[in-house]
Amino acid sequence: MWLIFKKEFKELLRDKKTIIFMILLPLLLFPAIFGVGIFFMSNAAEKAENEILKYAIVGEAYAPDIVESFAEASEKFELVSVDGAFENESDYATLIKNETLDFVLVIPDTFDADILASGQHKIGLYLNDAGLNKVYGRVAEIIDVYMDEFQLAAFTELGLNEAQQEALLKPISIEKQNVADDREVWGERIGGFLPYFIFILCLQGAMAPAADLGAGEKERGTLETLLISPMDRYKLVLGKFFTVSAAGIITALITVSSMAVWGIVLSQGMAIEFVVEVMSMIGIVDFVLIFLMLVPVVAVFAAILLSLSIYARSFKEAQSYMGSLIMVVIFPVLIAMMPGVELKGAWVWVPLTNVALAMKELFKGTMDYFALFGIFTSTAVIAIGLIMFCIHWFNKEKVLFR
Amino acid sequence: MIEITGLAKRFEVENPKKLSEQEKKDPRLKGRYFQSVRDVSFTCQSGEVLGLLGPNGAGKTTTLRMLSTALRPDSGSVTIDGQDVLANPNVARKKIGFLSSSTGLYGRLTGRENISYFGELYGLSKSTINARIEEMADLLDMQSFLERRAENFSSGMKQKVSIARAVIHEPSLVVLDEPTTGLDIMATSTVMEFIQRLKDKGTPVIFSTHHLDEVQALCDKVTVINQGETVFNDSLAAFSALSDGQMHKSFLKTLSTESQEKSNVVNL
Repeated sequence: MWLIFKKEFKELLRDKKTIIFMILLPLLLFPAIFGVGIFFMSNAAEKAENEILKYAIVGEAYAPDIVESFAEASEKFELVSVDGAFENESDYATLIKNETLDFVLVIPDTFDADILASGQHKIGLYLNDAGLNKVYGRVAEIIDVYMDEFQLAAFTELGLNEAQQEALLKPISIEKQNVADDREVWGERIGGFLPYFIFILCLQGAMAPAADLGAGEKERGTLETLLISPMDRYKLVLGKFFTVSAAGIITALITVSSMAVWGIVLSQGMAIEFVVEVMSMIGIVDFVLIFLMLVPVVAVFAAILLSLSIYARSFKEAQSYMGSLIMVVIFPVLIAMMPGVELKGAWVWVPLTNVALAMKELFKGTMDYFALFGIFTSTAVIAIGLIMFCIHWFNKEKVLFR
Repeated sequence: MIEITGLAKRFEVENPKKLSEQEKKDPRLKGRYFQSVRDVSFTCQSGEVLGLLGPNGAGKTTTLRMLSTALRPDSGSVTIDGQDVLANPNVARKKIGFLSSSTGLYGRLTGRENISYFGELYGLSKSTINARIEEMADLLDMQSFLERRAENFSSGMKQKVSIARAVIHEPSLVVLDEPTTGLDIMATSTVMEFIQRLKDKGTPVIFSTHHLDEVQALCDKVTVINQGETVFNDSLAAFSALSDGQMHKSFLKTLSTESQEKSNVVNL
């Protein structure tokens, strides 16, 4: 059996395709995607922040101070004179759409510093808000100065002290006290999609070798020679089974650790502390438990994949069978992500879903460790059943010589 | 000595509607089952080479697969040196070396690794394997490509490695299923030399083929299978005597006597 495992694994490692999918892709592609994404995001944000905005003001005569402030901030704003073509809202829209202007500020004729007499002022800001932009924030930055000034003047005139001012601005404030600790909060968020991610990765990683070890062997014509060697069938199956399982687990481990490492590298500084904090909260035991639960799950995947693969006539056929298996796996995991589904009652007995839920609980630190035993056992029983089926399948002439 | 008597094997037909007109006419189709092999018997003494002939779909491959324990026959018996193959497949497997033209190699392993993997599967020690590989590498002229990966081999190289793989455990019977089909002349002659060498060593060889010249050159005995039944089983001399030494005619004669008998039955 180990002889077969050793040979299959050696062959696996020599396959460029497998190496790319199993190691290189998770190692480089994910950080590449994240990196490029973050690069473009931060680039765009920076651009929106530093771009000189072209603007026009309607009713500038009513608020000369504001006009003056915009003119002073010439490194951020550029006044464009658009005399004449400037009557109503549709004109603003046209000018903004053809990119003559970035925004138009409309100051009402009632604008006045004495807000107690005039009431609230409404300044119109016309802009194209469809894409990423910081127009509102940058305009508000300048207007806010006047807002505070007016507010203060009004309070002074009314003769209110600071406490009264605060109460007037916000008479009642609700203060939220979260009894869940950080771990539970983050566990709920990360622990929800982590099993989904890991399951798919395990399946993906096991898929290529499984197709190769079953249907591939059939296609190459090596299966028959293998079958007539004096090696017990169950040993053949187990050798192949362990290879497929190992490939699945290795892929998942590499991907997760690659994500963790690159995550730390890319989000330097403050984020490191956060990651370290989360990691330290979870603890080694829980990590080991998560890994242990993964073992029977991968065994289930490997047994199913190997059975499909040996049934298929060719590599291609095997791959199309396996493609549909992904949908089957995603479903129970998606259920675990739905709000309201908890590791209670009947859900403890739903295969895959229970493991996904248990992983989440472990992440959150709210795991009922007795349930773990049941989940582990039931998944292991399913896995062993499937392996037995796989061995039985390997003994059927109808399957081997299709 | 190898003795095969009354071998039969049927396969379940998955979808009878899918069969072609010609397949439906085959007398071996019975309801949901296709009786691929109905009654095949022959014997082969040590040092003899037996040629298995028959038209496409006659049941040659199925017979050889049963002989090599890949398939289990429904009835009949196979004994090698008095040992029942069907009762004890794993013991029998150590005695049989099997090779077909469609046999592949593991492309990502080197020639040497391919051979020694099977050696290990047959339970040989590392030193024995290495010694035998060295011996065969000289014999089959494989030294130049033994350490290269099998995926880039030419068909001749592949066949040489396959041969070495099939006999690494020094089997007491070698079974070859159309070993020369699809090979070029060079590779074919390698196979022929290999069979001759086994014959000289006294190892019995059973091989199926469509090339009558190969039969003429190598075989001591000829067995013809048609529609799953043995229709001729005698020495090469008796075979060629059927029509004054013209092998093709002899072959056709064995088939036609069969069908004549059949049509007689129908006429009656």
